[in-house]
Amino acid sequence: MTDSAQNANKTARKGVSRRRFLLILGGGVGALAVGAVAAGPTLVREGRLAMNTLFLTGDAPGTAPPKAPFVWFQIDADNTAHLYIPKIEMGQGIHTALAQVAADELDIAWETVRVHQGDAERGFDPALIFTFGSTSVTALYQPIREVAAALREMLRSEAAAQLNVAAERLVPVGSAFMVREEGGDNLLEPPITYGQIVAAKQGEWKTPETTPRLKTGAEFRYIGKSIERVDLRDKVTGRAIYGFDARVEGMKYGAVARPPRYGATLKRAGTGTAGSMPGVIAVVIRDGFAGVVAETRAKAHAALAALDLEWEGGTNISQAEIEALVSIPAQGGTLIQRVGDVEANGGGTRVEATYRVPMASHAQLEPQAALAEVDGDSVTITTSTQSPEITRDSVAAALGVDAAKVRVVPAYIGGAFGRKTGVDVGAEAAILAKGAGVPVHVGWTREEDMMYGYKRPPAVNSLWASLDAEGGVTAVHHELASADILLNPDIGAPILGRILGTDPLAAGGSLILYAFPNRRVVYHHTPIPVPTAYWRGLGSFPNTFAIETFMDELAAAAETDPLDFRLRYKPEGALGDRFERVLNAVAEASGWRGAAPEGRARGLAAVYDRGTVCALVVEASAENRQIRVHRAWCAVDPGLVINPDGAANQVQGSIIMGLSSTLKERFTVENGMAAAQNFNAYPLLTLAEAPTIEVIAINSSDEPVGGLGEPVGGLVPAAVSSAVFALTGERLREMPFTLA
Amino acid sequence: MQLTINNQVYEVAADPDDMLLWVIRDTLGLTGTKYGCGAGICGSCTIHLDGAALRSCITPASAAEGKAITTIEGLAMLSDDGEEVLHPVQQAFIETQTPQCSWCMSGQMMTAAAFLENNPQPTDAEIEAAMNNNICRCGCYARIRAAVARAAEIAQEGAA
Repeated sequence: MTDSAQNANKTARKGVSRRRFLLILGGGVGALAVGAVAAGPTLVREGRLAMNTLFLTGDAPGTAPPKAPFVWFQIDADNTAHLYIPKIEMGQGIHTALAQVAADELDIAWETVRVHQGDAERGFDPALIFTFGSTSVTALYQPIREVAAALREMLRSEAAAQLNVAAERLVPVGSAFMVREEGGDNLLEPPITYGQIVAAKQGEWKTPETTPRLKTGAEFRYIGKSIERVDLRDKVTGRAIYGFDARVEGMKYGAVARPPRYGATLKRAGTGTAGSMPGVIAVVIRDGFAGVVAETRAKAHAALAALDLEWEGGTNISQAEIEALVSIPAQGGTLIQRVGDVEANGGGTRVEATYRVPMASHAQLEPQAALAEVDGDSVTITTSTQSPEITRDSVAAALGVDAAKVRVVPAYIGGAFGRKTGVDVGAEAAILAKGAGVPVHVGWTREEDMMYGYKRPPAVNSLWASLDAEGGVTAVHHELASADILLNPDIGAPILGRILGTDPLAAGGSLILYAFPNRRVVYHHTPIPVPTAYWRGLGSFPNTFAIETFMDELAAAAETDPLDFRLRYKPEGALGDRFERVLNAVAEASGWRGAAPEGRARGLAAVYDRGTVCALVVEASAENRQIRVHRAWCAVDPGLVINPDGAANQVQGSIIMGLSSTLKERFTVENGMAAAQNFNAYPLLTLAEAPTIEVIAINSSDEPVGGLGEPVGGLVPAAVSSAVFALTGERLREMPFTLA
Repeated sequence: MQLTINNQVYEVAADPDDMLLWVIRDTLGLTGTKYGCGAGICGSCTIHLDGAALRSCITPASAAEGKAITTIEGLAMLSDDGEEVLHPVQQAFIETQTPQCSWCMSGQMMTAAAFLENNPQPTDAEIEAAMNNNICRCGCYARIRAAVARAAEIAQEGAA
């Protein structure tokens, strides 16, 4: 993620009293459009001062004028309510969930809601639109409610004026108010609709001075309900437009030359005979870049082979060398957790284990894609991106134009999982569109995405613990090494790594939260010459796998049931209570205390990640030495669940994607290049291999405190390892799992 | 060449070995049919050719000449008063809230629709076998199983 995206999320969370409304009125067009902006700058770019201020006070500093909304409502005279949502829909159901939040507090009838992607057209800050890290609901829940409530009160007071009754007598009844009879409870016909109020409005709207009272949980109409996804009708009919589907009159197709080895650059590039290949419109060669624009994608790709290119440099690294690089050295590293004194208390019975997670491809089914239209120094990019901000900046840098002149239109995303952070295809399309003088669409092939997309960083985790004579844990030491995420120079800030000594995203989830008296975690920064970066869950995926599998090993060493062992060492305080609740819930649902069916065994894992606590039980068999997961139960507590069925869908998807990694996926490199190019050599989990999954959603709060897209994934390999151990006595520590 | 897609005849300037997927998507702009692998593995590009499910990414356009192509855009019907009536498979995929990103779902639904046409009352094992060659990376598999079973029910209710 970017600092500005984090800050944009933070700024959005501030109370409404420190916000200003943007009003685009009004009576003349028969519509009320309201955006709300934060009172501080949404984009904080004042370097260290800003970061320190944020860190020390939680306040976004600065005096720049507010201009970017974080939510936008428009109510038309026909009573339609348009909601512009500043997060991108990539299958996680965010448009639906945030619309539920808005519609609830605004008291609109659900059938009048039309949800739209917010973009720069309405002044949204591209940094806020960055959709990452399972943060969308927690960042926007409160501000959206406050603005919606303020808008509802504006409508109420205007209706009161129009009807000449006291505002207190107006009762919201779903996109309308009804007047309560004087001295009674009856509601008088007819209702006055929001559309009628808006259409009859004369003069200026007044915004409330203070935040109106927000609904309590008992008053929710939509929050907490399994409302149907707003995007599915367009998706099941083929109408939804994704980045790969973007079209414009006169557009052509682009393809870009790729290096034979990671890190190789163009030493020399000539057009060769590409210009005379059939259907070729333009060959675009510039510093370090060679590409072709043609009438069809196939012709563009065919012409690449006719370019005259010479590559230099790069790596010829092998898989064995990568694994040697990503290893834990005898000394060094950065201390990132210290509780008590591990050395002084580490003299008991030693349990130790090392876990490995390989590289993986995101394998999102829609490869990278962007349409670029260049008009002078103005550029429009329609693309599947999680980050319009990074897309905008990379396009601006590639063309040498002002970022303000680059408009990014976020389309539906056909799967991302961290792969679509805007670093590559937008700039390629822009360079080709400018060079060819026509709009150009670039859609990567599966082979390009698999070979050249950045990968999940490989990681290795070593843990040891010391047990006393009664099986009590006296100390736990955790040491990990990972290739880069944020420190990848194409992605983030290498300088941050020099300050911190870690890649903070790869280190995510590596701290030991269980209440062992002495704990220590050491991080080793082990970059590799293969591009690695964001992959669903970030460090939480390998670190949860390692810590939770080790918990299972410790439980076995202590001759304690894995559930009881976790309950014994649950984290202190309220977090421990949440652990206990999800553990007990999943144990009950799965029948943990009872015997598994013949030939099967159950495994357990639990985690706190991104505000959410969750626990998973899987039931597995190993007939003919083939591991098969038949059933899974997962209890999740993200605070407050907005849409239980949507939450279940995220958890189910996380489990299946996690199981695909657990049993199948291993991306390898030979001679400096991907060994696999397509799904034939990189198989994914299939439908017949997917378990049935039961999800237990737990509300532990009156507000959402955690995300749901990522915390569950790392539980899967840990729970499967636990189940296979219970079944066979063999301990699997290296993904993907196979029984020899 | 001439292609008949969703009962509409298109005159297309395409090379005979251009893949049908790209003629449908890029030349004709019917972008509901998706590209996933280009190798006939993932199933995102599945369409119907004379009612049979087919992977359009590895099928030359010329092989579809003179045949009836159906894409996801042609799966729903129009009622007499012009309302869109979703195919039972589409209804079931919404009812079960199956799609996440939905990039694979056109292919999933076209596969399911052709399957149910030939096997209107399938067992769970038959559904599993029929749908096992379509990849879903979001991990909607458990719901796809339920959706196809539900689609069979809806079709039966409609036929009854």
